[in-house]
Amino acid sequence: MFRYISHRLLVMIPTLLAVSALVFIIIQLPPGTFLDSLIAELESQGEAADPNQIEALRAEYGLDKSQIEQYFTWLFGMLQGDFGFSFEHKRPVSELIGERLVLTFVVTFSTILFIWVVSFAIGTYVATRQYSVADNVATFLGYLGLATPNFLLALILLYLANQWFDLSIGGIMDDEFRNQPWTMAKAVSVLQHLWIPVIVIGTSGTAGMIRRLRANLLDELQKQYVVTGRAKGLHPRKLLWKYPLRVSLNPFIADIGSILPDVISGSAIVAVVLNLDITGRMLLEALRSQDVFLSGSFLMILSLFVVIGTLLSDLALAALDPRIRFTGGTTR
Amino acid sequence: MSVRQLTINILLALALTTGAAVAEGFSDTPALAERVKSGGLPPVAERLPEQPRVVGGDTIGQYGGDLRISMARAKDTRMMTVYGYARLVGFDQSYNLVSDILESFEVEDARIFTLRLRKGHKWSDGAPFTTEDFRYWWEDVANNTDLAPLGAPIFMKVDGEVPTVEIIDAQTIRYTWQKPNPTFLPRLAGPRPPFIYRPAHYMKQFHAKYAEQPALDAAVKKRRMRNWASLHNASDNMYNFDNPELPTLQPWFNTVRPPQQQFIFERNPYFHRVDGEGQQLPYIDRVLMNIADTKLIPAKAAAGESDLQARNIFMSHYTFLRKAEEKKKFKTLLWNTALGSKVALYPNMHHKDPVWRELFRDVRFRRALSLATDRDEINQVIYFGLAQPANNTVLPESPLFRDELQTAWADFDPDKAEELLDEIGLDKRDKDGVRFLPDGRRLEIVIETAGEDTEQIDVLELLHDTWLDIGIKVFTRPSQREVFRNRIYSGDTMMAVWFGVDNGIVSADMSPGEFTPTRQIQYQWPKWGQYFETGGKAGEEIDMPAPKELFDLFRSWRVARSTDERAKIWQRILDIHADQVFSIGIVCCTKQPVVVSNRLKNVPREGVYAWNPGAHFGIYLPDTFYFANAVK
Repeated sequence: MFRYISHRLLVMIPTLLAVSALVFIIIQLPPGTFLDSLIAELESQGEAADPNQIEALRAEYGLDKSQIEQYFTWLFGMLQGDFGFSFEHKRPVSELIGERLVLTFVVTFSTILFIWVVSFAIGTYVATRQYSVADNVATFLGYLGLATPNFLLALILLYLANQWFDLSIGGIMDDEFRNQPWTMAKAVSVLQHLWIPVIVIGTSGTAGMIRRLRANLLDELQKQYVVTGRAKGLHPRKLLWKYPLRVSLNPFIADIGSILPDVISGSAIVAVVLNLDITGRMLLEALRSQDVFLSGSFLMILSLFVVIGTLLSDLALAALDPRIRFTGGTTR
Repeated sequence: MSVRQLTINILLALALTTGAAVAEGFSDTPALAERVKSGGLPPVAERLPEQPRVVGGDTIGQYGGDLRISMARAKDTRMMTVYGYARLVGFDQSYNLVSDILESFEVEDARIFTLRLRKGHKWSDGAPFTTEDFRYWWEDVANNTDLAPLGAPIFMKVDGEVPTVEIIDAQTIRYTWQKPNPTFLPRLAGPRPPFIYRPAHYMKQFHAKYAEQPALDAAVKKRRMRNWASLHNASDNMYNFDNPELPTLQPWFNTVRPPQQQFIFERNPYFHRVDGEGQQLPYIDRVLMNIADTKLIPAKAAAGESDLQARNIFMSHYTFLRKAEEKKKFKTLLWNTALGSKVALYPNMHHKDPVWRELFRDVRFRRALSLATDRDEINQVIYFGLAQPANNTVLPESPLFRDELQTAWADFDPDKAEELLDEIGLDKRDKDGVRFLPDGRRLEIVIETAGEDTEQIDVLELLHDTWLDIGIKVFTRPSQREVFRNRIYSGDTMMAVWFGVDNGIVSADMSPGEFTPTRQIQYQWPKWGQYFETGGKAGEEIDMPAPKELFDLFRSWRVARSTDERAKIWQRILDIHADQVFSIGIVCCTKQPVVVSNRLKNVPREGVYAWNPGAHFGIYLPDTFYFANAVK
């Protein structure tokens, strides 16, 4: 066990290094640098940038150095906990990210919870009633959920919420609570707004999870032990809960590793559409304006979460299902 | 500026100041009364300059309320400097220059500028605003080799020469150039003015010359800056409102450190304007700027979540907004815009292919393209007939406007166009009717777009058909802003589609820079513009007679000493443009929807929404806007 965990932890190091190099290269791929986007943006608003000032900025931001040099400066900085400096906001990246992490966690956590609860209920229900009307309806809705683009769903819910419940357009809370200390009213306002992003981000994950649970459960239900149990007159509910359901629950845990990146990247677009002050939105803006260190550090932190999330889900899975063994390269 | 106009301005300033003296006893908002009572703030008479500027909207307003506006990005806090429009000199609503922060100014010979400040004028933190602030910027910032390694900024130079700066007393300062500098005052009145002053009392703590070294080093380290110069540069941006501690002269100042989803702007208790009854402006206590994605802004406006909104709202949202008006209690006004042309095509004079380059440089070819464009149809189909077919030139609101500027070579006349093309020698066609180039290739033009505006692509669709009728095949290539620009600059692009000139409401005293090859971002001749911008270090020298003449006219405009002389030069420039069709304008005079809450008063029903001159709402002085029944 200990060897397994330490092995996995060690493998993380080259993984994250590779990620950091990839991230840095991909961010730099679009032509131009932050300053070019800055100039383009100024011009689009009829403002002109002074060429001399641009040159001075280039030197100040270190953009005149080679890319390799920039990469290693960033990498060594990160090892010491310094994520670099955001060009756009003229502030250290760590400050900017820190401010947004709480809400990001709230949204991500609620979404995963939503996926679990909804897909467990629906998945179990439809698997035990294969090809019934309810199953077909749920299947249809599930495919719809998978196929509908998140931003569209977000816009529709936004409009309906505004029309029916008079919720403000966008935002994770009403405008008057922004920049206010946390109070009961503010928390209520957050809860009032939270359901839209949770549903939007969670829909496709839920739909996928329902399909997996249904398929797994159907497999189990046809196995010999279930048939035997049923023949022996075991109560149907007990028969369902005792073994097949538990076994088919594996994807709930095993999929954390894949849901997490899904939820996080899915939330970027949704955060823009719904105007949520979470990391996704800032990440997208930073990528657009080629704010290298801000977007790079964001992606690094998110990758770190994913890597750790995967490890945790593997451990939890092993704890849950005795059939699974640690064979991560340590045994022959 | 002419002597006559100058006298009028001075008289106007005098009239205004005596007006202020009559309206004795100033008053201010109840929101500040508390702080005055507790001694935290001096009474209003001590906060105002001795001679405040008297301005007025349609009606005298009442204090209070929060103005909610939406912006797309945290960076847009700068828009409050644009809207606030406190300038040394500013344009009034008829585009005359009047003193605003200045008490008065004098111009001799278009090259000696004497600026007089208001006595007793204070920064938003209560520190006096004097010529020391100008001196600090000029001597310790603009001419400090650490802060400005490349020397004084371009706008302070005339042909490379910097002015002599004389400080006459605490309120008077004089800038003298050897040659005329006609753009100096209009630049100061711009939406993004060069700030030739800094709050010296505040900035000195970041300046190596004034600050204690250990304290400065600690501050540099704390903010993770490279050196004191970058700390100074990051702290002294007067335009962006990104440093809540930086004192300002604008009517409202930002109190929230960016980036945030909401910015709160509070009133400047030392603001220098009062209304006709001596009430200190602004009327509105706070401005709440909510940051939302561009696509949400129209929806927020329609949900009644913006009290004043024009940015990020377009004509395509108009019907949607009108529908929501009654329920959410706002009005959607339609203001004029200042773009010379909503859509314009730019043939690239530097295209890499020599055959095409020759063609684009042939005026007959450009005229033929313009004649083959059915502007009326485009106007009807895409703009519901609400725009006006026009060349890319000045607008009817401009004093320089003449009908023929907009209509020259702009009629739809395909026969004439074909005649011109035959005359050039492009008279052979293939079986599809597409003409051949002299070297046998088909006459196929790729028009590139920045891929942001679907409207431009719709226009190109319509254009495709009428151009095909005269034997020219059009392909559209959408790309992305930076790529789009770089391809034009390098001569890879054949033709680009973009907006027309930014400022179609020019007067003779405004720079004709936009109409002459002086900037790289002019998409028909970027290399010539770059040549001028970089002083000949990059780009190419102009090698075509008509653009050369435009450039020479630009130079003579710069040294012209009277408005009449400048007006003559302008007319010649505009004539050349109309005749030579360097860019093909399609339609002009589109409208800008402006959402205004029913409670918000003094917002003009009709106005011009323009960046420069105009500063969007700036020249309509948002500090004079107020809420009816403000206490909510």
